[in-house]
Formats: sequence, structure tokens, C-alpha cells
Amino acid sequence: MISVGDLTKRFGSKVAVDHLAFVVRPGVVTGFLGPNGSGKSTTMRCMLALDRPESGFALFDGTPYHDLKRPLHEVGALLDAGYVHPGRSARNHLRWLAASNGIARSRIDEVVEMVGLTSVAGAKLRSYSLGMRQRLGLAGVLLGDPHTIILDEPANGLDPEGIRWIRDVLTHLARQGRTVLVSSHQLSEMALMAEDLVVIGQGRLIEQSTVSAFVDRYADRWVRVKSPTAEALVGSVTAAGGEVTTVASNTLDIRGLDCVAVGEMAAQQQLVLHELSAQTGSLEDAFLKATAGAQEYTSVQLGSQTGSTP
Amino acid sequence: MINLLRSEWIKLRTVRMNWVLAIIAIGFPLVVTLLTAYFEGDEDGFKTSDLVATLTGTTVVSALLCGVIAAASITSEFGFGTIRPTFAATPKRMNVILAKGLVVVAATMVLATVVVLIGWFVGSALATGQGTDVDLGDVPTAVPAMIGVVVLTGLMSLAGYGLGLITRSTPVAVAVLIVWPLIAEGLVGALLSVVSGNDNIGSWMPFQAGIRMAIVDEFGDGGPTRLQSGFYFGAVALALTAIGSWFVNRRDA
Repeated sequence: MISVGDLTKRFGSKVAVDHLAFVVRPGVVTGFLGPNGSGKSTTMRCMLALDRPESGFALFDGTPYHDLKRPLHEVGALLDAGYVHPGRSARNHLRWLAASNGIARSRIDEVVEMVGLTSVAGAKLRSYSLGMRQRLGLAGVLLGDPHTIILDEPANGLDPEGIRWIRDVLTHLARQGRTVLVSSHQLSEMALMAEDLVVIGQGRLIEQSTVSAFVDRYADRWVRVKSPTAEALVGSVTAAGGEVTTVASNTLDIRGLDCVAVGEMAAQQQLVLHELSAQTGSLEDAFLKATAGAQEYTSVQLGSQTGSTP
Repeated sequence: MINLLRSEWIKLRTVRMNWVLAIIAIGFPLVVTLLTAYFEGDEDGFKTSDLVATLTGTTVVSALLCGVIAAASITSEFGFGTIRPTFAATPKRMNVILAKGLVVVAATMVLATVVVLIGWFVGSALATGQGTDVDLGDVPTAVPAMIGVVVLTGLMSLAGYGLGLITRSTPVAVAVLIVWPLIAEGLVGALLSVVSGNDNIGSWMPFQAGIRMAIVDEFGDGGPTRLQSGFYFGAVALALTAIGSWFVNRRDA
């Protein structure tokens, strides 16, 4: 289990992490979400004693990272797949990493095989793509067979097969009872992989909950109706306080009423329904809503740009 | 600590640039010394001190290259970001700094020892083959100078390592390592000589003092003795490394 409490980190006058506190439980994948510049990477660096926080703590099963005797056996972390010497081979990169924690050389071949890099393990890392470096980074994470895993954007640069592979690996590791904390901007992936979420914005905790609770709390919900006579339903729905959006000629989205209420109205009017379903917004919708006030960088909608054109 | 030493040794020897610099550091003094022994060995005036002076003098260049290797051993970690996985694997940073320093200083001293041994034994054999008898017993300062150049190599590596820790930048560390002994100390020494009226003050500049360890000739110039030079330059190199270690330990990685 990871326990983070009162973690604060400043860069000059800029507060990157602001009294952040959360807990990551074992046995599930926990997604670590936040807009760009929200302090996710800084938090991870502070947790791993790479950055010196002004205050607070990060404990791994009750022990600060700095006090771990052989950290690679306890915590496997991948902060950036680019942290490699391009002139070294993948095998030699893993060799120095393994040697630092007394890990046997035979383990290197095992993890290289696990991540599918056996055929290129002797190649210089300058020839590696970002996706290959991500796989190498994950090999480094797995070297010491740690019970806690921390990954910062592990799916960056991976192809669809690689993304699916990393999802399968992380869920598998979590099912083995390990503690897995993963930051990612790929929210659709996170929705498939994570059970718990820690969401931060501007260095502060916005929400810690399960994915389903987070979506329930922040995402939009509505009822979708498909009927050859859908327009006939508009009047009664509006009268009952519902808000109707016409999606297509035979499809309505209704907010403010639930399926039961809409179904009963349709029955009273003896309307034929082809679909009556409860709809929920995605994790992405929930995330955008939850972090709307905590965006560090906001972009201008291209369509809303003003200015003259020649 | 043994694990860390192994880890740092793997890092040092798995970078091609280190091998290139090491080969130059070994090859340059040996080629010059052995060619000198072969082609000058039949000259009437060629003496033991000439052979040793050529060997130790050219090995000073190797010492400078070893300083570059040592500086790059740490600056490349910052440059490529590998310092982060390094410190993540070993959160006690001073242990990493100590292990890396020990490995690079030991490796460069072994390199210098190999150069000196091959240079002397092969060089003296070549000179003898050319008709000049050379014997270490002829020159009392020969062995101290040869030991001195090995110690100088170690201390030059330590100084380069310290500069690397402080600057965290390969170009800056290498530039300082080259400019400081070869240009800056000469200028500062000359300036101080003019101001103080003491012509020997230049020999008290840190790197110039260090280089005196490798000089075969008797000094007698009022500058530091061979032993004083070693301690003085060693103290400067240690101070650079201590300051750099303090910075690295205190800063974010």
C-alpha cells in the first residue's frame, strides 16, 4: 500500500504539489489523473525521493522510499522511458540496474523475454523507438519482482497491441495483489484498466474514489429513446420536467427523467419503442468536468478564434 | 557497496566513448615513448631520465583525458536522465556518488599504471636494444615521478568527477577541466607573479602543483615538493568532489 500525506513541493514561487494526500490500495490498478501541469510527475518524483518535497511523506507499506534497503525489490518505477544512455544496449542497461540491487543476471533474460525484446536486447538504445523504450522501462520495473509498481504514462508511444499488452500486464500484476499506480492521459485505457482513481488538479487532490463512483458523480446521465414516433413523446417529457435533445429523426436523448418514467410515458401513449436505455458519460467526460476549474493550460477552440483572415 | 561498485563498473565500461578516450589515453604516451626509445635510443646523449621524462610527460596528457572520462561519467547521467533511475535504484545518493568516484578513480589509476609499466619496460628494452643502457637506479626521481603520474591521474579523475558533480554538464565540465590547467592557471600565475614579485607562485596553482608530481627533474625552485604537490592537489580535487556531492545530494535529481 502507498500512503501519501501532506505532500508539498514548490519550484520557486510555483506550488507544484499542494498538501496532497491519498492512499493506493493493493490488488487493483489505481489511475493517477490530472491535466497537464497538475503535478502528477512531480508527485511521483517526490514519492521516489528524487525531488525533495517541502513537507509531507510518501510511505510504501509504512516505509519511506529513502529507507528501502533494496528498492527495486520493493518498488518498480518507470517515470520516463527516455532515461537511458543511447550508446548502451538494452541488456547492459538492465545489467547495471540489476547489479545495483543485487539481482541475478538470469533475471535480466527473463524480463527481457517478458516484454518481448529478446531479439533486440543487444542493440544500442539509440535505435529503439519510444514504444521499445517503454517496453524496456517496464522490464526494468519488473527486474526486482516488486510488490509496488509506479508508472508515469507507460502507454506513450505504444502501438495498439502494445497498449493492450501493457493493460493486460498491469491488471495481471494487480490481481496478484500488487499495488499499481499508473498515470495516463489515455482515459479510455484507464477506464478499461483502473478500478480506483486519484484525480489531482493544480497540485491538489480533486477526488479519490473508484472509477465507477467518479463517473457517477461527475459524468452526465440521460435516457436514450428510439421510436418511429419519437416526436410524440416530446410534449409529455417536457411537461414532466425533462429536457429533450433530438439526436436523429427517431432518436431522443432525455435528461432529467429516468428510464422508468420515460417508459411509463411511452406506454401511456401506446408508442412503440425500439430502444430505451440509460446512458452515462465516459470517464473522459467526468474527468473534464471534475478538472474544469483546475486546468493549468487551456486551449482555444479553433472554431471560436477571432481575427481577420486575408 | 559491492553491488554499487559492480553497477558503476558496468556503466563505465558499456559506453563506447569511454573506451575511445581510454585507448587514446593509453596509446598516446606509449606511442610517443616507444618511438622515442627506438629512434633516440642510439643517440649518445640519451639517458634514463629522458625516457622517464617522455613517459611521465606524455602520461600527463592521459591524466587529463582520464579527468574527462571521470567528468563525463557523472555529467552523462544528468544529460541522459539516467541519474533518476540510478537514484531510484539507490536512494542513498552519497553511496552512489562514492561508488562511482571509487570506480572511475581506480579504473583510471589502473590505466595509468599499465601505461607506466609498459612504457618503462618496453621502452627500456627498446633503448637497450639501440645501445643505451637505462636503469632506474640512475635517476633517484624516476620512480617517484612514475608513481606521481599514476597518483596525478587518479587525482585528475577525482577533480574531473568533482567538476562534473558541480556543473552537471559535460561541455562545461570538460571546458573547465581543459581551460583551467592549460590556460587559466598560466594567466593567473603570471598575474600573481607580477603582483607579488614571486616567480614561483605559478607552481602553487592547483593543477600545476599536481603536474609537478610527474616531473622527473629535481625541483629546487621554491615550489611545493612532490609530496606537498600531491596533498595540495589532492585536497583541491577532494574539495571539488565534496562540494559537488553536497549539491547533488541536496538538489532535486
